Amino acid sequence: MAIPLETLTAVARDPRGYIADWRARHPGRLVLGVLPMNFPRELALAAGTLPVVVQDDQKPVTEGRSLLAEFYCGYTRNLADQAATGRFDLYDAVLMADHCIQLIGAADVIRAILPDTPVFFGMLNSSMNDSWGPARVTAMMGEFRTELERLTGEPITSQALRDAIAAHNRDRRMVRQLFDDRAARSGVLSPVQLQDVVTSAMIMDPVEHADLLAETLAAATAAPAATTGPPTTGPSGRRVRVHLSGHLCHAPRRELLEVIEASGAVVVDDDLYHGRRHVSTDVEEDGDPLEAVARWYQQRNVNIPCPTRVQQDADWDSWLLGAVRRSGAEAVIHLLPKFCEPHMLYYPELRKALDEAGIPQLQIETEHEGIPLESFRTRIEALVERAHRSRAVPA
Amino acid sequence: MTQTAERTAPADRTNRLTVTRAGGQLVADYWDNLFAARDQGKQIVWYNGGALNPIFQAAGLAWCHGEAFAARLAAQRLEGPAQLAGAEYGYNAELCSYSRTHLGCSVLTLQGASLQSGEGEHTGVVGAQDQRDLASRLPSPDFFVNNYAGCSTGQQWDGISYRVFGKQLPIFNISHPFLWGNKPDAGYLTGEEWEEASGFVEGQLRELIGWLETRSGRPFDWDALSESMSYIKRAAELRREGLDLCKAKPAPATFWDWIACVAPINFLPGDQALVDYFAGVRDEIQQRLDAGVPGIEGERYRLYFDGIMNWNKLGFLSRKFAEHGAAVLAGRYIHNAFWQEPHLIDVENPLRGMAQHYLLCPTNHGSRTLDYLTLRDCREYDVDGIVFHSTRTCRAFTGPQRLLARSAQRTLGIPSVFFEGDVADASFYKEEILESRLVAMLEQIDVRRQRGEHTGAARP
Repeated sequence: MAIPLETLTAVARDPRGYIADWRARHPGRLVLGVLPMNFPRELALAAGTLPVVVQDDQKPVTEGRSLLAEFYCGYTRNLADQAATGRFDLYDAVLMADHCIQLIGAADVIRAILPDTPVFFGMLNSSMNDSWGPARVTAMMGEFRTELERLTGEPITSQALRDAIAAHNRDRRMVRQLFDDRAARSGVLSPVQLQDVVTSAMIMDPVEHADLLAETLAAATAAPAATTGPPTTGPSGRRVRVHLSGHLCHAPRRELLEVIEASGAVVVDDDLYHGRRHVSTDVEEDGDPLEAVARWYQQRNVNIPCPTRVQQDADWDSWLLGAVRRSGAEAVIHLLPKFCEPHMLYYPELRKALDEAGIPQLQIETEHEGIPLESFRTRIEALVERAHRSRAVPA
Repeated sequence: MTQTAERTAPADRTNRLTVTRAGGQLVADYWDNLFAARDQGKQIVWYNGGALNPIFQAAGLAWCHGEAFAARLAAQRLEGPAQLAGAEYGYNAELCSYSRTHLGCSVLTLQGASLQSGEGEHTGVVGAQDQRDLASRLPSPDFFVNNYAGCSTGQQWDGISYRVFGKQLPIFNISHPFLWGNKPDAGYLTGEEWEEASGFVEGQLRELIGWLETRSGRPFDWDALSESMSYIKRAAELRREGLDLCKAKPAPATFWDWIACVAPINFLPGDQALVDYFAGVRDEIQQRLDAGVPGIEGERYRLYFDGIMNWNKLGFLSRKFAEHGAAVLAGRYIHNAFWQEPHLIDVENPLRGMAQHYLLCPTNHGSRTLDYLTLRDCREYDVDGIVFHSTRTCRAFTGPQRLLARSAQRTLGIPSVFFEGDVADASFYKEEILESRLVAMLEQIDVRRQRGEHTGAARP
């Protein structure tokens, strides 16, 4: 198991290395930087490109400070810094589908700093109950296809799109199984390992990723104790089962995930973008593939509602309560990136719902420029204690 | 006992337009009418974003613009109880202070209603008196309409208002494509994207009107809409005429006078009173020009202001800039917002022109278009520098500012400064930063003049 998992981890932590290797193996083909959260990578894969979700590379923001205000979220400031310091040289073009004003600010910086790099923004309708929404989304998927064809100079055939959909679905299913196993208490990967698996899925060709993942899982089945996460039974049964919620468009710091599990908690489920949210929804493999990709976008917000969308009949709070019940989580930790407005807006609704259900919760505001881990540890330990006391109270 | 030297307040060198007091009265009357709307048996709509009020007016509704109410509270220093209520409910202080204040009003409105029915409970931070005062002043909505372009938070804000009110009230959302400029022909008021977006929003306005007919139970009065828009178009033309007059040296009126005119053009009913008001503004400016009366005493510098308004500090900032001889003349929030292109309005068929103005929200452009608009206005008003209000909780307005500052320096050779403040939260305002940076920029302009250099954006 170690070697395939180590490969995925290496890709997650060094996208540049993977991209260089991919370029060497696919001369003349384009690598596209894709900004979160809903860009349909299937279309770009069908165009013969490598669509890479641009990661927060966790480096300090230096020149980017003069391009975006310090009260933009850490991820967008990091993107501006990547552009300003030459780290966007990985990408032949940049594509974006999501209407987040901070993300748009970062994209505007990229476009200004790199005038020779095409930056295409195809805005997907974010008001999900609009009767005209599905048609608009399908039309925008068509515009993405046209733009990709313009970039590559080649048409995207329906069959190529179907193949790309199948490849991504296979990969998503395998990753999703890891999350289901974890929620069912039979998971074998730690939160950091799972995050690396998802991150590498955002970077790699899905066929290559799925193949490596299959090897990883086969090895894990053969030797489950080798690299498992913390057990939740036996002497460690005192660990409190927690659900991680938030971080809608970039990954939380690995060290934070480690501190959570080192503080007496065990992560059993999440709705993180670098977690279950990313793999929540498959694209239908029947019918018109472009319309299927459009429906995928709509369905994602039903399967795990996102506060960046407005949908009156899809509630993140209700979904969270259901997820907690399904996984048996005893507490929720909200990971709120500083300055993330949709999360700040929705958070009171989450808090209210969990309070009413008697589920202990803790909000942790994360920052790009370092996180006070020891302070977080104290607060997480307090949450763990609170959850323990809840156990002692008969239902 | 420690004694401190008493700082003498500098002389007020502003010369604000007197006519804006009449505008203030019109606005006060509007709010008084809104506060009484429930008693008058009117349905009340809460909305955000672009100025939908002509449609509500024609539909016979009373309307409350959320940002405007938050701005009014801030301008009157009454925002505290609403913001405390929002904080108590769970809203983070870094959240858009318009939305935080307005959502706090929602919380207070609901708490006030439950207190009146005897079911409420005191929540600690916000006193019952505050709850009663504000709740009684802002009538609760019958439904919501969101018309937010540019800022993604705007759409989410009303989505949350809907939830705060228990998901019981109808909501209608108008989606606006961001004018990013993908296509080669994309530009200000031109190109395939502009035309397509205009048609899309126009179609949604037609849907909205049908939705309002259902809500109100009355057929929509299209003639009333045309009539209202004819007044608004004329008022907008007069406003533009007045703005153009301010290109004169010295300027007869300033950005701060135009800030005082935002509320009338943004949400007052389209009627003769609105036209009369803006005719009065234009006429007073013309009279000043004829008589050689400046907008500030001793104009030495001409500045552009980029940023949404710091409503807590309107009077203070106007005096501060005047104190330094700096006439602030133009700004994105004034020149590129609020029915700023009246020629687009066809009063016989007004929906497309209205849709286009909603799309022309100054936060709904990519930085390329904003660059064009900013440089154009800097040249036309021959400004010596730009002041950027780095608006702490408004990421939409602040986003492109660094790029605009670079472009102004490179293209026009004019300097700029940034200061931090906020739309409705005074705690973010940093007085010393503005003072020191403003003085430094003005000294830089002086040095260039001493060298015999031209400092204005308009090339000689």
